[in-house]
Amino acid sequence: MALHLNLLHEEKLEQRQRQRDPLKIGIMVLSGFGALLFLYYLFNAYRTLEIKSRLSAVERNWTKIEPEVTAADKRVAELEGIIKTTSALDNYIENRFFWAPFLQKVSHCVPPNAQLTSLDASVLDENKGISVSLEGVAAGREPRSVAEDLRQMLIEQLGHGYGGVKVDFKTLEDLDTIVTVGGTNMPMAHYLLAINFNPNPPAKSAASPTPDHTRKR
Amino acid sequence: MSPPKLSKDQVQKLAFSTIGFVFLLYVYFTFFLGPLNRSRAAMLVTIQDRQSKLDESKDKMKKAVSLEQQAKSATSRFATLRALNPEGAPIAWFPPRIKAFFANQQIDKAVARLDNSTAFKEAELSGWTKYTWLIDLPQADFASLGTAIAELENTEPLLSITKLHIQTLPNQPQSQHVEIAAASTIEKR
Repeated sequence: MALHLNLLHEEKLEQRQRQRDPLKIGIMVLSGFGALLFLYYLFNAYRTLEIKSRLSAVERNWTKIEPEVTAADKRVAELEGIIKTTSALDNYIENRFFWAPFLQKVSHCVPPNAQLTSLDASVLDENKGISVSLEGVAAGREPRSVAEDLRQMLIEQLGHGYGGVKVDFKTLEDLDTIVTVGGTNMPMAHYLLAINFNPNPPAKSAASPTPDHTRKR
Repeated sequence: MSPPKLSKDQVQKLAFSTIGFVFLLYVYFTFFLGPLNRSRAAMLVTIQDRQSKLDESKDKMKKAVSLEQQAKSATSRFATLRALNPEGAPIAWFPPRIKAFFANQQIDKAVARLDNSTAFKEAELSGWTKYTWLIDLPQADFASLGTAIAELENTEPLLSITKLHIQTLPNQPQSQHVEIAAASTIEKR
């Protein structure tokens, strides 16, 4: 067996130790890992930049459209306000009580031998109804009957246009005064009628027949 | 195979390397990747928010256009109702207007006085005020009065008669003294 002499033993050992130096290996591993992390960072940075450009595009769009949207919002609110106000005003207009037809009906009910001296009428709060007070005098052979005829006529006439019509005497009293009607002396009666009704016309199904009565003179 | 024995110096170097590695990770996540991710997440939220606003805005614009079409009759009606009353304080123009109106109906000496003014309870009528007027007609005949009231009710849709008092005059049975309480709805200007 040949004798093998290693004269570079120490040198090789040193070289091997240098190669196995943990610090050097660690630095190499760290450098590799660092490079990976750096690449990952670059990848993320690229994605972030891409998102940033998307964001600025969206922001540009929004800036362009925002004044129009604000104006549209304002206009919608304004239009909704107008619609609501118009509807409320129309409601107010439609729910008014019209006095002219009522006065016409009253004038049609008054017979020639009765006279109205006072009419006091008002719309009850929140349009709950109409309250009327009629005062006057009636003349005839039976003046109370003339006043009653007027009451019946009012019930009949007002019942055609309004609902829940109530006509009651508050006062009906004979007067001492005598008047001449058509050359005949007749006694007189003073009456005060209270009328209450609902301005809405009565429902057809619930309409009650007009009172059957014969007018007396 | 047993692991190579490390010298004290090598152990020290390994420990330093480990510490360096941990430090590197800390710096990387805290000062580089963390802020980047946070900023990206914030930008994504902003994009989503803006995008939803943009989508909403399209709907709003469409709604405004369709509402404009639908509200045509309401806007013209509203303009008509507004035009019924002139500008200025109602006390300045309402009484002369009523006086002229009744004079045209052959009822002279009409006097209108302001009784009170109240705000509406309804929110939609917050821009309008209810004025209550007392109109005094010292001498009127029933037929003319009826015609005048019919005309008033037809030409003044925002006026509503709330009380009516008619009394015959003692010495002139053909004439009556009339008192009217009327509420008119007038826009605040």
